Amino acid sequence: MTTATPLWEFVDISKAYPGVLANDKVRIKLLPGSIHGLLGENGCGKSTMIKTLSGVQQPDSGQILHNGQPVTISDPQVARDHGIATVFQEFSIVPTLSVGENIFLGNMPRSRFGVIDWAKVHSEAARVLAEMDVDVSPDAITGTLSVGEQQLVEIAKAVAMDARMIILDEPTAALGEDEIERLHQLLRNMRGRGTSILYVSHRLDEVERIVDEVTILRGGKVVRASGETEINVSEIVSAMVGEDIGEHYPKEQNATAEVVMEAHGLATASGVTDASFALHRGEVLGLGGVLGSGRTEIARALFGTDELSAGQLILNGKPVRFRREMDAIRAGLALVPENRKYDGLFFNFRASGNITAASLGGLSRLGVLNLKAEEQATHDLIRDLEISTQAEEKTVNFLSGGNQQKIVIARWLFSDSDILILDEPTQGIDIGAKIAVYKLINKLTRAGKSIILISSDHDELLAMSDRIAIVQHGAITRTVEASDLTHDDLVRASADTTETNLEEVFA
Amino acid sequence: MKRIFDTQLIGPFAAMVIVALIVALTTERFLNPGNLSNLSLQVSIVALIAIGSTMVIFTAGIDLSSGSMVALLTMILAQMLKFMGIPLMLALPMILIVGGLLGLFIGLITAYGRIPSFITTLAALIAFRGLALTFNNGSPIFSLDPALEPIFYGKLAGIPLPFFYLVFFYGLAAFVMNFTKLGREIYAVGGNPAAAVLTGINVRKVQTTTFVIAGFMTAVGAILMSARLNSGSPNYGQTLELQAIAAAVVGGASLAGGRGNILATLMGAMTIVIVQNGLNLNAAPSSVQNIVLGLIILLAVGIDMWRAEISALMGRIFGRSSSGSAQKVKKGV
Repeated sequence: MTTATPLWEFVDISKAYPGVLANDKVRIKLLPGSIHGLLGENGCGKSTMIKTLSGVQQPDSGQILHNGQPVTISDPQVARDHGIATVFQEFSIVPTLSVGENIFLGNMPRSRFGVIDWAKVHSEAARVLAEMDVDVSPDAITGTLSVGEQQLVEIAKAVAMDARMIILDEPTAALGEDEIERLHQLLRNMRGRGTSILYVSHRLDEVERIVDEVTILRGGKVVRASGETEINVSEIVSAMVGEDIGEHYPKEQNATAEVVMEAHGLATASGVTDASFALHRGEVLGLGGVLGSGRTEIARALFGTDELSAGQLILNGKPVRFRREMDAIRAGLALVPENRKYDGLFFNFRASGNITAASLGGLSRLGVLNLKAEEQATHDLIRDLEISTQAEEKTVNFLSGGNQQKIVIARWLFSDSDILILDEPTQGIDIGAKIAVYKLINKLTRAGKSIILISSDHDELLAMSDRIAIVQHGAITRTVEASDLTHDDLVRASADTTETNLEEVFA
Repeated sequence: MKRIFDTQLIGPFAAMVIVALIVALTTERFLNPGNLSNLSLQVSIVALIAIGSTMVIFTAGIDLSSGSMVALLTMILAQMLKFMGIPLMLALPMILIVGGLLGLFIGLITAYGRIPSFITTLAALIAFRGLALTFNNGSPIFSLDPALEPIFYGKLAGIPLPFFYLVFFYGLAAFVMNFTKLGREIYAVGGNPAAAVLTGINVRKVQTTTFVIAGFMTAVGAILMSARLNSGSPNYGQTLELQAIAAAVVGGASLAGGRGNILATLMGAMTIVIVQNGLNLNAAPSSVQNIVLGLIILLAVGIDMWRAEISALMGRIFGRSSSGSAQKVKKGV
């Protein structure tokens, strides 16, 4: 493979921002018909590279070679003319438009009089979707599709413009297991047709599955280049972090026999059909299942967001009924939501405002806040959780994802909640920050708090949970000791299988 | 104290001082004591109403109803004093309560009826004006009560009373926004309503409360309006709601919610009134005044939006300076 002429080659590309050298003489070769993994922790320079390659910004020095010829990618249009398509992490889809309109957005086929040729939009979109083997109507309104299908539409845009190279930035962050598989199949097909693919991901298990070559960046430099050795996850991790991180999952056993919460046959209109479990003091109970299986809905039911249509929740031996989130919070529950940007953080507040937001009642007397106590508590939590001290002075939008996530969790430490529901607590944060979150989970359980953990990262779920409840179609079908499960068991058990198959899995 | 007088005040304060300097240098009579006390009279009504408008804006809402509500409340007050024989000392608190109730009504429909505040208050803007016309066959009511005028024109130690109203209400508003649970919740609801729900903040109650405050402050403004002209009229308060919003915006409040400083609204109102005063003193026609007011709003928001670019430009001109970015960083509560 290394003998082929690279389609694109980065030669000693450097790019500095004020105060940081984001890319330091980066060299990468992208071969036609190859999937190239680009890895590294947050802030390692991946995004800078993507921006340079898609023409969003210019490198300070170095050369970009296209089929061996030096080129300048002066703006995104030039990148497109060179056949480079970029699928950014945040979709650039207009949800209110049809699939066909999105595919040809900014490049609508027109008839002679400059009027949009709708027949052609429809037929061309249908052709592209068929070519990709995607079963979505070109006339469907994009916003009504699943996140996975929207992601495929995003890629269809790239296919429609005949991209010879596609850059995918964290393409699976929002996808379920089935959808990831579908996406990978599509990428393999494209690779078969000679397309060059640059695949940026945090998910190391995927890298093993799909990537042909890998480049790892750390501190703006290439620390491991393509094709040097076989791809091996533990090597990748240590290359990314820059040190041997030792235990990736520092799990502590803190579960006790005392039951703090029991759910009996919970059901809601939003899709929970039959959820029963018991949660012990100091325990981490994992909820395993595919995207859309109802894990998040169970969390919403427990937290009083969705009203129970059936079932009973028992807290410390007493039946409870939460009508709103406030009731659940008063009873000692906490929810760290799946999407910290959407419904977790107040970006107009510094760390302090974010940390105390759920405890304003306790922090105030006759409605007047005790600001001194707030500053002191914030200071202590920032120190204890090793949050960047910038958080004391800056609003949280200036912080990294890891620091942001710690602040959301710190909110519930401050409110002294007894039961924390963590929905995808490590999504989109780098490995160092993930380990910090795991340690935080240990700290919580050590203090006698109980945790319900929802995670699509199977390894994480297996390693950090004491027991795992398998969720399918809104029901908890089985609860098992995490140590009795393997990664494959979990994948199979949470996939769309029948009860009899499940019996086999746990036989 | 650090919280109230934070960096968000520097811009609006500087704008106000610069505008005042320009007017003072170009207009002889501007610094006359008579003119200055006249300024505090002029600014008082719009600035007091703007307290409520700003709090609504902080929750990412908008209140378009205040101008019409002023007309309605002056007519109700006039009706009470002139035709119903209700004594002034009873009529005034009643007007404040009616204002609060009208705000409550708008707030409930907005928050619990899930209708955007732009629509509910636009409907109120139109309907309240109509309601005001149902009193006294739509004609103004004059010569209400001799004791009414001193509320606006009275002085204490030589200083016009409206000055003290401003100090009192803005002091109270700054206290609420910076030191109380309600103030924090208002910023939280405006900053991220979804997160506010998940942290147990009663978002609808907070939204409704801001409209009650807005209705109450509008009633305060309506009383001053009646006192100033010793009358009630269905035509009072035209575009007052827009002037109040303009004051908030010139003061740097973000219409997206969650960001801004209540005291900056007072400075925004002052800036606008000083410009109008300067144009008045130079006998500029009202057409010019409106054009200038429009430009001020555009400029104030523009400077806020282009802050990073401006500070970069300043950095290039005057050497390295990080004050611009530091200002942006410290915006949080």
